[in-house]
Amino acid sequence: MHSFFQDIRYAARQLRKAPGFTFTVIVTLALGIGANTAIFTLVQSILLRSLPVADSAQLYRIGDDDQCCVEGGFPGSASDTGDFSIFSFDLYQHLKSSSPEFQSLAALQAGFGGWNVRRGNAAAKFLTGEFVSGNFFHTLGIVPFAGRLFSDSDDMPAAAPAIVLSYRAWQGEYASDPAIVGSTIYIQTHPFTVIGVAPPGFFGDRVTDNPADFWMPLNTEPYVDGAETTILLHPETTWLYLVGRIRPGVNLPALQQRLSATLRQWLATRPTLTANGGATLIPRMHVVLTPAGGGIQNLQQQTGKDLRLLMILSLVVLLITCANIANLMLARATTRRAEIALRVSLGAARGRIIRQILTECVLLSLFGGTVGLGIAYAGSKMILALAFPDAINLPFSASPSLPVLAFAFGVSVCTGILFGFGPAWLSSHAQPADALRGANRSTRDRTTLPQKSLVILQAALSVILLSGAVLTTRSLLNLEHQNLGVVTASRYVAHFDPEGAGYTVDRLAALYREIEERFSALPGMAHVSLAMYSPLEGDNWGECVIQQGHPAPRHGDNCGSTWERVSTGFLDSIGVPIVRGRNLSTQDTAASPQVAVVNETFAKKFFPNQNPIGQHFGIGDPKYSGSFQIVGVFRDFKMNNPRDLVRPVFLRPLSQRFMGYTDPMMSTIELQSMDMNALVFDFDHPPADVNSLIRHTLSDIDPNLTVRDLRSFGDQVAGNFSQDRLLARLSLFFGILALLLAAIGLYGVMSYFVAQRTSEIGIRMALGASRSSVLRLVLRGVLTQLAFGLALGLPAALLFGRLIASQLYSVHAYDPVPLLCATLALSAAALIAGLIPARRAASIEPMQALRSE
Amino acid sequence: MTTNDKMIEIEELTKVFYTDEVETHALSGIHLTISRGEYVAMSGPSGCGKSTLLSILGLLDTPTGGRYRLNGKPVESLSFGERSRIRNQEIGFIFQSFNLIGDLTVEENVELPLTYRAGMPSSERKKRAKEALERVNMAHRMRHYPAQLSGGQQQRVAVARALAGSPSILLADEPTGNLDSKNGEAVMHLLADLHREGSTICMVTHDPRFARHAQREVHLFDGKVVSEDDLRKLTEEVEA
Repeated sequence: MHSFFQDIRYAARQLRKAPGFTFTVIVTLALGIGANTAIFTLVQSILLRSLPVADSAQLYRIGDDDQCCVEGGFPGSASDTGDFSIFSFDLYQHLKSSSPEFQSLAALQAGFGGWNVRRGNAAAKFLTGEFVSGNFFHTLGIVPFAGRLFSDSDDMPAAAPAIVLSYRAWQGEYASDPAIVGSTIYIQTHPFTVIGVAPPGFFGDRVTDNPADFWMPLNTEPYVDGAETTILLHPETTWLYLVGRIRPGVNLPALQQRLSATLRQWLATRPTLTANGGATLIPRMHVVLTPAGGGIQNLQQQTGKDLRLLMILSLVVLLITCANIANLMLARATTRRAEIALRVSLGAARGRIIRQILTECVLLSLFGGTVGLGIAYAGSKMILALAFPDAINLPFSASPSLPVLAFAFGVSVCTGILFGFGPAWLSSHAQPADALRGANRSTRDRTTLPQKSLVILQAALSVILLSGAVLTTRSLLNLEHQNLGVVTASRYVAHFDPEGAGYTVDRLAALYREIEERFSALPGMAHVSLAMYSPLEGDNWGECVIQQGHPAPRHGDNCGSTWERVSTGFLDSIGVPIVRGRNLSTQDTAASPQVAVVNETFAKKFFPNQNPIGQHFGIGDPKYSGSFQIVGVFRDFKMNNPRDLVRPVFLRPLSQRFMGYTDPMMSTIELQSMDMNALVFDFDHPPADVNSLIRHTLSDIDPNLTVRDLRSFGDQVAGNFSQDRLLARLSLFFGILALLLAAIGLYGVMSYFVAQRTSEIGIRMALGASRSSVLRLVLRGVLTQLAFGLALGLPAALLFGRLIASQLYSVHAYDPVPLLCATLALSAAALIAGLIPARRAASIEPMQALRSE
Repeated sequence: MTTNDKMIEIEELTKVFYTDEVETHALSGIHLTISRGEYVAMSGPSGCGKSTLLSILGLLDTPTGGRYRLNGKPVESLSFGERSRIRNQEIGFIFQSFNLIGDLTVEENVELPLTYRAGMPSSERKKRAKEALERVNMAHRMRHYPAQLSGGQQQRVAVARALAGSPSILLADEPTGNLDSKNGEAVMHLLADLHREGSTICMVTHDPRFARHAQREVHLFDGKVVSEDDLRKLTEEVEA
């Protein structure tokens, strides 16, 4: 132990003696460790974190897929894969009653969102609310901070409407009011009693950038959404995720099989699901049990690939850092040869020498790690802002947690050992006699093979990172500059909630008319429109389209189309032209025939080689297939995911409501489609105060109408690329960092080369070598190492491109441009890094060089 | 003696070193002439300016003042490139510490000055290197590396390197300084043989035994050329 502390003291003294070296190493390490810790902070927060609940390991989800949010029939990809991950209320109750293996099985809303919430006479707020089953908190093992949490009795049709607030919402939205429990809060104008506050730190059942502010029992859904539009009581409408606590000792594969069988039994009893070939799909329907200690994994599934890639990239940067510092340590070891040889000659064992040098390295690493934590904190903040630009209330922060601190410490120690062991081993094998002999009689290149190899390794790794950076950047540019089919300039999108302001269906038409009139009259306003959803905001409705005269599509047939109800100015407001027929117009009234306009893809898909104008189609059932007549075709634009191909889209006018549905579900859908969420504004010249102008105009119409969010259409579109932007920027950052480190490494080795070979250069000059031949001598060394680095790095970069191909958009994994860019960047950096020592070598005065020998 | 016979002509040559505020006069008004085919030894106590003078003669350094003509051409104010070219083609160096390059074989070391001559084919370089090594009896070691040779052998390779370029003059700076007496004598005999074959040699030594191998001895003291008698008196005064 005494010798250990002696090693530490000696190491500290050595580092103090070489402040330039120490500073360089600490800064380099801080960058490498900081980058890794920053990415790990994100990985830990999103991928590795457990829910703050009791015994999270006992929690299991029935389902494994990100199916969302409200589905009819076989949900999402279940028709293809048979994987069932989202459930109706009826199916939930069926599974719950037939699964005694669960101590408790809770249901929670798959896709929750904002609600208009008001307390007393205060202005309404938009808070995030989630429907959950009465046993939700009990299943998770949560105890209340104040009041009480839900019980099964709160989740009964006749129960008094109750909500539980999150601790954060109680603190932030209600100023920690001690009288909150028992008070009344109006949600969408319906009174609820606050029965309790969840404990601090509890953010719900999933990691998301907008966690729930409050929870409502499932049975209050009809109360809030209205009896006509409720989805709770539609047995085939799936909208719930199921999470349960499994009893100890339960055989999971057997349970999974039994749950799948129960699911199939239930499906077989549903006529709408067994019709049209659905019965043939039922045998492959199944569920997958997945651990739910980390909650619902939607965000993890969305970001996991990118985060893992970033973790790999940052580890490569760390590897380059290690190679860089190992090189410095090797150079330093040469200057300490005499000292180490003396120690060996005095009887020091090799192990002792290695330990002493490693102590120095680990000490350096720990200093680097400490500084790196500061860089990680700043980096994490920046990354979170980039990754979640619209986050309202992230359940995690950039502050280093205990696991992050442990990671930083572990990485620091490992890094120290990694970069220190090679130099320590080589130093310990120094021949004392050689080192103590002093001046040599002939000059020798002491730039060792390990040093050159490390530079080659750095160059190769840099090529991979640089090529990856160019690939992801090109992918982002392709995404951003693709033809989305919409015009974003001078356009704004606002979201509002008339229902939350107390509007019933019968009052909506008048409200929409007034909104259009008032906004159209604003100075500089070219077009204004209302829509269920605006393009690329991340939401849309989809239905199965049936052409008139066609039989019912079979389950699994590709008959889906996005559909929207919009006001007549919608296409103009987003800059999309009509290419055939006419646009929706004021001539389309409640009394006139039901019409629709469709996009080019819709026309090609459902009416190939036909004139689509005048054709009829419907949704849901063949009996409705003549419901809507196509009056126009508009140019394709991207409505949903900008990465996907354009889907079929049809638009129906706000002025027409189809009254011919005889199925309650179809009537519900038709009614729900009358709720407009988005307002789109197209200005000739946007005024300076767009924000206040829009907000004031809306509140002038009705003070209860508030703008939930308002941003430019360009910002909304750009929001779709946040993750790609994060990946591209961080890849670029890591690429530049790698390039810088590789250049520094090369510079260091070549400077060392020049310093060590000063006398040789002097001899060469004495023998008649010109300055240019000395310059060439040094640069030849640089180019040789560069060539080896490229020879190793380029094939590896190609492999890396294949690895990330699925994360790229319109970029081929074998695209030569990134390889060329990486080669040019590295070559330029290497030449600059090599030119400085080369010029220094060429300016050596031969006489001085010979004297130094 | 005709002008053409004069290989080196030096007049009023001075060299001053400036370190911080100290001015050191290494050479003070040297006059020296070396003729073609002559073997001159420069001797004197440590610090007298022998090596400085040899560096200037070899165009490794430039004088502070005075005139220097090599083969009848003034060379005291040539550019770096011109000096490199003359060093490569007219001068052969033999250093006290051999200064062979450890990563190159014996043959490559000898060939090295020839690689700086534009246009010389590789076969010609190899032929000349072999001939030079044969002259110093080291051809059998041409594939070896310097570290595999004794000190005497290394110095013979250094002599071969100096000869390979067929220089006008050989400049030797204490060529026996790092050798034992036996190897030292062998190198001296080698230089004497080269002189007999027509080489012009200028050698710096502080060892009178080796200085006697030369035709003429030039004595330096405090940066000046002095006669042998004056050197003896001055040395005695200093010692007293």
